Amino acid sequence: MITAIYLAFLAILGLAAGFVGSITGLGGGVVLIPALTLLLGMPIEYAAGASLISTIATSSGAASAYVKDRLANIRIGMSLEIATTLGAIVGSLAAALIYTHNLEQVIFILFGLVLLSSTYPTFRELRKAKRSRMNRDWSTDFFNLHGKYYDSATKRYVSYSGYRWLFGEGVMLVAGVISGLLGIGSGALKVIGMDWGMKLPIKVTTSTSNFMIGVTAAAGSAIYWVMGYIQPLLLAPILVGILAGSYLGSKMLPEMKGRHVRGFFLVVLVLLGIEMILRGVGIA
Amino acid sequence: MSRFEDIIALGLRLGVSLSILFILIGLLLLYAYTPSGIDFSNFTTRGISVIGILYGLPRLDGMSFILLGIVVLIATPVFRVLLSVFHFAEEKDWLYVAITLIVLIDLLIALLVIPSLVAG
Repeated sequence: MITAIYLAFLAILGLAAGFVGSITGLGGGVVLIPALTLLLGMPIEYAAGASLISTIATSSGAASAYVKDRLANIRIGMSLEIATTLGAIVGSLAAALIYTHNLEQVIFILFGLVLLSSTYPTFRELRKAKRSRMNRDWSTDFFNLHGKYYDSATKRYVSYSGYRWLFGEGVMLVAGVISGLLGIGSGALKVIGMDWGMKLPIKVTTSTSNFMIGVTAAAGSAIYWVMGYIQPLLLAPILVGILAGSYLGSKMLPEMKGRHVRGFFLVVLVLLGIEMILRGVGIA
Repeated sequence: MSRFEDIIALGLRLGVSLSILFILIGLLLLYAYTPSGIDFSNFTTRGISVIGILYGLPRLDGMSFILLGIVVLIATPVFRVLLSVFHFAEEKDWLYVAITLIVLIDLLIALLVIPSLVAG
């Protein structure tokens, strides 16, 4: 039987997941999956189901604020979603094949290694005082990858442009396939693709990733629903917590300095990479 | 441009608020009406259809309200993409109309076609 304390614990977990997810653009899985599996002993597929739906809540809850603040770039987000949704479809179709051959462990390990190795360029960006501007390429104007936002932390308007759309789209395709295969939002690759690949400002990157993951997670959710990996009663208190957490996060991100956002993302990235490798070797 | 962002933000907020409202109503109903001894903690979405959920609402079935909240939540990003199609059409930005339509079709395939393929 479910006790009030248990429900309150799930709500607090949701609060933490919504907060971390909305600031880093990673959705809810980073916090939820290890907490639900390790602390509560929930089987991984149910934890992944809860995390997918929570990711939609984090995304939609925070994105309304980010879109209103002009921090999330709708055009860039939409144009990259082509690859993430397509990738998610391919990934979910391939999932059955992967699981029957027990290859999912290999994918977890590979994904973990990719995340850990991408901490290096993220770390290097963190140490740079100023980011070198690139020459705009064909995609910058063709896809209208321009934007402008008011940075509350520095009290200045920031104009920016995105580059290497095709490269970004490639990263998003991989992110989509992985999210379809493993049932995770894979926001980490989205952030890396936009930050490192397309050279967008970090706050635009995490808020646009946050805007996008709702669509990727929604695409993956139907399968989890049909397979019965979604437990409504456990999800309900988590979602209530998520709403509060993502609201807090969406109020905080605009006030944060870009360096701090990237630093925070870097820490979570390391933890996520380790978590994926541990799952790959079958510990978590 | 500015009006569009506000409409999208409003649409997202509406979806999330509705969803949480249904979930809270569902939790309250479950708390108020569930006879002791019934344990819903292992209840899952397997075999649950949207039609079935709608039938449960007039009976004030708490679980149906929670499930409706989850369905509304899943539908919110789809609704957001649909809104964007109309907006880009209004702006006559045909490149982005095409891009957004592709995303919408992908989403509908993922939500409506893929589950029946995978679940067989």
